[in-house]
Amino acid sequence: MAESVALGGNRQAVVHRAGEGSAVVWLHSLYGVDADAPVINALARRYSVFAPVAPGFSDLAELDEIRDIHDLALHYDDVLEALDLSSPVVAGHSFGAMVAAELAAHVPKRVSRLVLLSPLGLWNDRYPVTDLFGVPPAEVPAMLYADTTLAPGSGPQPDVESVISLVRGMTTVARFLWPIPDRGISRRLHRVRAPTLVVHGQEDRFVPAAYVNDWLALLPDARGEVIPGAGHMLTVEALDRTLAAVEAFLGQVEAFA
Amino acid sequence: MKFHFFHLMPYPDLPDDFRERYHGVWVDLPAAELFDPMTGHQAYNDYLDELEFADQVGFDGICVNEHHQNAYGLMPSPNLMMAALARRTTRSKLIVMGDSVALYNPPTRVAEETAMLDVLSGGRLVAGFPVGTPMDTVYCYGETPATLRDKYREGVQLVLRAWQATEPFAFNGRYTQLRYVNIWPRPMQKPHPPVWIPGGGSVETWDWCADHNFLYAYLSYFGYLRARRVMEGFWEAVERRNLEPNPYRAGFLQFVGVADNDAEAERLYARHALYFYNRCLHLYPGFTSPPGYTSLATIRQGIEGQIKLAADRNKELQDLTWPQILERGYVVAGSPDSVVQQLTEMEETLRVGHLMVLLHFGDMPRDTVFYNTRRFAEEVVPRLRPMWSEWRDEWWPATETPSPSGRGLG
Repeated sequence: MAESVALGGNRQAVVHRAGEGSAVVWLHSLYGVDADAPVINALARRYSVFAPVAPGFSDLAELDEIRDIHDLALHYDDVLEALDLSSPVVAGHSFGAMVAAELAAHVPKRVSRLVLLSPLGLWNDRYPVTDLFGVPPAEVPAMLYADTTLAPGSGPQPDVESVISLVRGMTTVARFLWPIPDRGISRRLHRVRAPTLVVHGQEDRFVPAAYVNDWLALLPDARGEVIPGAGHMLTVEALDRTLAAVEAFLGQVEAFA
Repeated sequence: MKFHFFHLMPYPDLPDDFRERYHGVWVDLPAAELFDPMTGHQAYNDYLDELEFADQVGFDGICVNEHHQNAYGLMPSPNLMMAALARRTTRSKLIVMGDSVALYNPPTRVAEETAMLDVLSGGRLVAGFPVGTPMDTVYCYGETPATLRDKYREGVQLVLRAWQATEPFAFNGRYTQLRYVNIWPRPMQKPHPPVWIPGGGSVETWDWCADHNFLYAYLSYFGYLRARRVMEGFWEAVERRNLEPNPYRAGFLQFVGVADNDAEAERLYARHALYFYNRCLHLYPGFTSPPGYTSLATIRQGIEGQIKLAADRNKELQDLTWPQILERGYVVAGSPDSVVQQLTEMEETLRVGHLMVLLHFGDMPRDTVFYNTRRFAEEVVPRLRPMWSEWRDEWWPATETPSPSGRGLG
């Protein structure tokens, strides 16, 4: 179920909703909210999931107003305010995890628990993030999946509109990741108040698993988990193990509203 | 018609097994391993000699361009090359084709350097403003693909205003903010040097050029047959605005080889053309299509950029033969009669008043370039010259006399 919520400045956001229970906000990955249906549906078995569509993904003109990472973080603060979610759990994967961390760093009180799955956003010269935009499309699956047979099949030639949709999403992501994904978050993470879980795939060839240590070093209250055999696309390759880690983390801390 | 000598300045000494050993000619080709400064020294000086020779044999314009971190063209700074040429030429107009405005911070640097060139050369400058290839702009210079075109256009507007402003002004742009803009020197040409836009087939560029009265130049390595669709798009944009279809609004780039006959053309030019297509256009597909570089409208239109075209054809280029190069019109070569006939057909198809020719191919030696250049100037130009003479060229420096030169030491 998707609804449109009105924000200030004549902006709007489309938010997908599923399930009942405590509120979990899900910030989607590189391929948009529809591609994240498996993880959203799985979370919806226990939680009330709110999954906003990132600005740009459905209309690039939205990026005229959301120009940098600060605009983006505050945009999500606006979305949660409009949804009357004062301090939900905020979880995200990949690009979405980066945005979740930025939200928690910009507006610490907005986030009660933070779940970062294969997060982007940091940079370490010793193990650089691979250039997602510098490989031919055919090589992207090998970067994102430990087991490329789990990547979406090549299938028939996609129609123009699905190509356009993919380009729109990647254009948006590149806007916030290119050329170096660290947009200053390393200077802000000390502000995060929420207990945080960082989960990474051991075989991630996009964002090396060693980044877990960088996140743990910078976040005030965080624990990390590395899932053997999984690549960047944790929510596809290791959905059950990822959910188990998330639910254990959320269960450890006291019940949230 | 007008004729311009365009030089790409490729690195002339890439190894025979280049394609097998390196994934591409651009961005991350190891310079420390392949670039030899003495080879570069010789190449620069030969290339400048060739451009100066073009001035001497009567070309209307000489052209240089800007590319970064590559062996395809050794000109990260076209303005430096043109500064050297401004002092050693007197007749040809100086076509910088051009400065990638979004890569200069602030873009007033472009307004300043082009004004310097215009004043230094006595008003002979044509200022070209390309967006720049994805390799140059996104991968080498770290520009965000989604905002590149917007930043570029804002930069061009800033340059135009800086050239013409009658008093210092403040500029509050999205990408550039300056409290004081007041360039010294100002261009010699009034209201400003002609602006040429080299395009690769983006839909928006046609409209933009037509709206601003900029010359649109399609720079293609894949022949006029393939360029027809792109130029038709431009002429439709002109027609939609009820503007005159003046051929001097448009330019086109073409490899040309003049010889006694087809056999001599093959002997003189074939291997150098193959060097260009096989090695200089060996583009790594990962560096050709950053998301956001090509607008959604252009994707919908299905017009692929030059660069992506080259990358997609990478395999085809590897096996390319001289007969295929000729058959597809990538290179126009043969006797003067044959070249005139082919270029006439091209002109009639594309309707371009400014023909830019590449007479140096890949790793062609200087003597062969001189030979090709002289024959083109003496045996081809005069026969095509009358074409489009019924139109007035408003996209050209008005300066007609040889520019004032230095006073010498006497």
